[in-house]
Amino acid sequence: MASSSFKTDVWIDWCPGCGDFGIVTAMQQAFKEAGLQPWETVIVSGIGCSSKTPHFIYANGVHTLHGRAIPFAMGIKLANPNLRVIVNGGDGDLLGIGAGHFVALGRRNLDITVVIHDNQVYGLTKGQASPTLPYGVRTKSLPKENIQDPINPLRLALSAGYTFIARAFAMDVKHLKTILLEAMQHPGAAVIDVLQPCVTYNNLYTTQWFKQRVYKIEDEGYDPVVRSPEDRDEKLTQAMKLAGEWGDRIPIGIFYKDPLKPTFEDRIASRIPTFKASPPALQEIVVGKKPIISREDLFKLFGNKLVLRQPR
Amino acid sequence: MTREARIMLGGPQGAGLETAAQILTTAYAKKGYNVYSTREYHSNIKGRHSYIILRVHPEKLPTAPREKPHIIANIDAESVFTHFSEASGNTLFIYDSTLSNMDLKKITSMEPEVKARIINLLEAKGYGTKLTDAVKYAEKELGAIPIPLNFKEILSELASKIGITRTQALRYTNTILIAAVATATGIEPLTLRDGFRARFKGREELISHNMTLASIVEEKLADKKGFVKLGEPTGTEPVFVVSGNDAVAMGKIVGGLRVQTYYPITPAADESTELEARENLVVDGEEKGSILVVQTEDEIAAISAAIGAALAGARSATATSGPGFDLMVEALGWAGNNEAPVVVTYYQRGGPSTGLPTRGGQQDLYSAVFSGHGEFPRIVFSSGDHMEAFYDAVKAMNWAEEFQLPVIHLLDKFLANSIVTLPAPDPEKAVIERGQLVKEPIQGKYMRFDKSQGPISPRAPVGTEGAVMWYTGDEHNAEGHITEEPINRLHMHKARMEKSKLVLEKLPREDKAVLYRGGEDFLIVGWGSTKGAALEVLDELEKMGLKGSYLHIRLLEPFPAEEVKNVLQQFPEDKIIAVEATFVNMISKLISMHTGKIITREVLKWTGRPFYVEELTSAVHRILTKGVTKEVLTYGF
Repeated sequence: MASSSFKTDVWIDWCPGCGDFGIVTAMQQAFKEAGLQPWETVIVSGIGCSSKTPHFIYANGVHTLHGRAIPFAMGIKLANPNLRVIVNGGDGDLLGIGAGHFVALGRRNLDITVVIHDNQVYGLTKGQASPTLPYGVRTKSLPKENIQDPINPLRLALSAGYTFIARAFAMDVKHLKTILLEAMQHPGAAVIDVLQPCVTYNNLYTTQWFKQRVYKIEDEGYDPVVRSPEDRDEKLTQAMKLAGEWGDRIPIGIFYKDPLKPTFEDRIASRIPTFKASPPALQEIVVGKKPIISREDLFKLFGNKLVLRQPR
Repeated sequence: MTREARIMLGGPQGAGLETAAQILTTAYAKKGYNVYSTREYHSNIKGRHSYIILRVHPEKLPTAPREKPHIIANIDAESVFTHFSEASGNTLFIYDSTLSNMDLKKITSMEPEVKARIINLLEAKGYGTKLTDAVKYAEKELGAIPIPLNFKEILSELASKIGITRTQALRYTNTILIAAVATATGIEPLTLRDGFRARFKGREELISHNMTLASIVEEKLADKKGFVKLGEPTGTEPVFVVSGNDAVAMGKIVGGLRVQTYYPITPAADESTELEARENLVVDGEEKGSILVVQTEDEIAAISAAIGAALAGARSATATSGPGFDLMVEALGWAGNNEAPVVVTYYQRGGPSTGLPTRGGQQDLYSAVFSGHGEFPRIVFSSGDHMEAFYDAVKAMNWAEEFQLPVIHLLDKFLANSIVTLPAPDPEKAVIERGQLVKEPIQGKYMRFDKSQGPISPRAPVGTEGAVMWYTGDEHNAEGHITEEPINRLHMHKARMEKSKLVLEKLPREDKAVLYRGGEDFLIVGWGSTKGAALEVLDELEKMGLKGSYLHIRLLEPFPAEEVKNVLQQFPEDKIIAVEATFVNMISKLISMHTGKIITREVLKWTGRPFYVEELTSAVHRILTKGVTKEVLTYGF
């Protein structure tokens, strides 16, 4: 059990060549470089191949329900904002069954990082079409071609209000690691759509297919950063446009970054001033075995419902 | 003479009935009376009919609605038509005389079924369908005393006295009811002023306008002043005027709740609103803690986030009702499998589906006890009244942490929306028990599901220094990693499931099932808010020479089979009667399943309305004396 490398001794049961390996390696490297402690890091996942990720990383792991990683992660983060919380899930998990939560996280701008393992199929259930599989295509285990349109994860994230939006390629571990580091440092909801092959069920969008097409937007001078609130519209429009590029060239890198919008933690702190210094999980709630709130406290807290009466 | 007053206020939603009830309740409370009220309303914001039944008692807190109001005070014509048949001898029937010619057939807001029923009633006795016909019916057939008040005139008088327009004066319509009721029950203006003050804190002009109106009404009702004779009030201790939702919110605050998640749903949402209003637990400038209340995108997120917060070490809960709970069930199983201490406050309403969303029932007993695939331990625990609800909210959080499992605190709409003068509960009487919570840094390897010392493992919150742990919905080993190995499964599943046995061993008798009164002639068996009506029924039947007992089942899962069986064995089969607001009588079947004892007598009600003391008394009496085995009750509109 080598904790400094964030590796566990659990055998990784993904198919050889799976894109998930690259994502796990990039995360382990990023955590190490960021100087994180395993006990203050939490990997939260849903259900599916990629959602087994927590078991392969030496850090707290919370392997939840299909589609529900984000709300579980939110509960953990809000109870103790000192924790570094990273969500891992597949495109079916986060953008299909869990799409409502994916949108809600953007609206809140809670400071967690979401890593979408995007392989366009439901691997663990034998290759059904996922929400990112293009219309009209037929991967090898589909009896007929796909008749549903795909979601564009980046455009969905832009609309939902995420303040850090990136795309990476699972087979470029170094690039992914760099993006992960920046995503984790970013204050607010961050999402990285990681393109990856499913070696067993996706015979169309393979490692080779992606390799021939992906290009790094930072190499072409793309600037994703919102530097003043007036920038927002322009940067959003630019990112929306770029996110639509798909075909011979597929852009990867950071599409949008807005560090100016208040995080959910900031918004809560504006209502609960002690929230950050004394978050829910770290408050003392008992003196000996007795509640902190006394009878007199209750009288004051519920003063608007209290009726005092004249002793006779 | 010791006597209670029963008052019915009726009118369209949005017309200020709730405010009226609150002002009256505060005024009566101030004088030392005990007040119980229950509210019936539609799933609607404005316009549909609603009513409130108040019971004002000089000595003890009433616990259920009763028939035969002493006063029926109506804001509009629909209320008159809906409730005239509930009048009885000497009921003061207060209504707006300007509506006298209103024809029932022309009231568009009334449900056609209600209209048809009332038309039949009136026509059967040869009455027409005008409002005056209904009033006459109440007077001639039932002995009521009509009190026509010209609302228009009264409001015009107010308008000219305080210098507002007639349209502006309309906002004070509900005060006519308040003043009429106060006058008829002998509440003097100074006490009534206390009621207005509590409601309109510091808005002196508004208070004075209301008092002006009150004096106009009082003058018009001079001959009915104190007509409903209340006994001398005896209460001197402080009380809270609270709903069941409020009582739970208070308990959660005392019990150290730190994260509450919810998605808006009737009749649960008010609890979260009350908590959110008190997010900062600041008393006299001193910070006592804070409660984070999060409105999530749906109920699935609500329970998932609550579980997440629990894993990180915060006391956390979510509040919902049936449809929301259905969505939470998958996560409930996850919490069971991962021994996560989460509390679900579950307010039942009339189902299935959207059902009767603003009405009550006990139809979710099976749902609370049996929902979810696979086997996992849970506690399902029910409160019978506001005081129980307060302390139970604390206990629910204790047990969640002590036994490391999900706890469902099962309540219902009847309790949620009834408002009482609750004697101030004492937090000193509550205990906070956090079980095997690890608060120090961990040295060496931490095993979250270490069962070497028994089924309850030391629980370090996620984020504990030195502790790394895994949680998963899959079957897992001591570390929390997935394993499907059969021998691990054998032990891990057994350890989890055996926590139910520990719950039964550890919980005191009074938290399992409580026997009230102790009379040996018969036994009523029930749970939850049935308690209120059942206890009053015992008193009524005792007056008729039958001394019975009420078995109030508190713990529904794991089921206190021994305790319940012992009580059932003391009564002959034909003297045991189960009472429940369902069609199938779930509690009887649950009892049979766990004890082998079959209850063959039952009183059921599934109209979404609460048990009234009178109807339940006669139903039980018929079963005991006439050899009837089943009674279905329907009272209440």
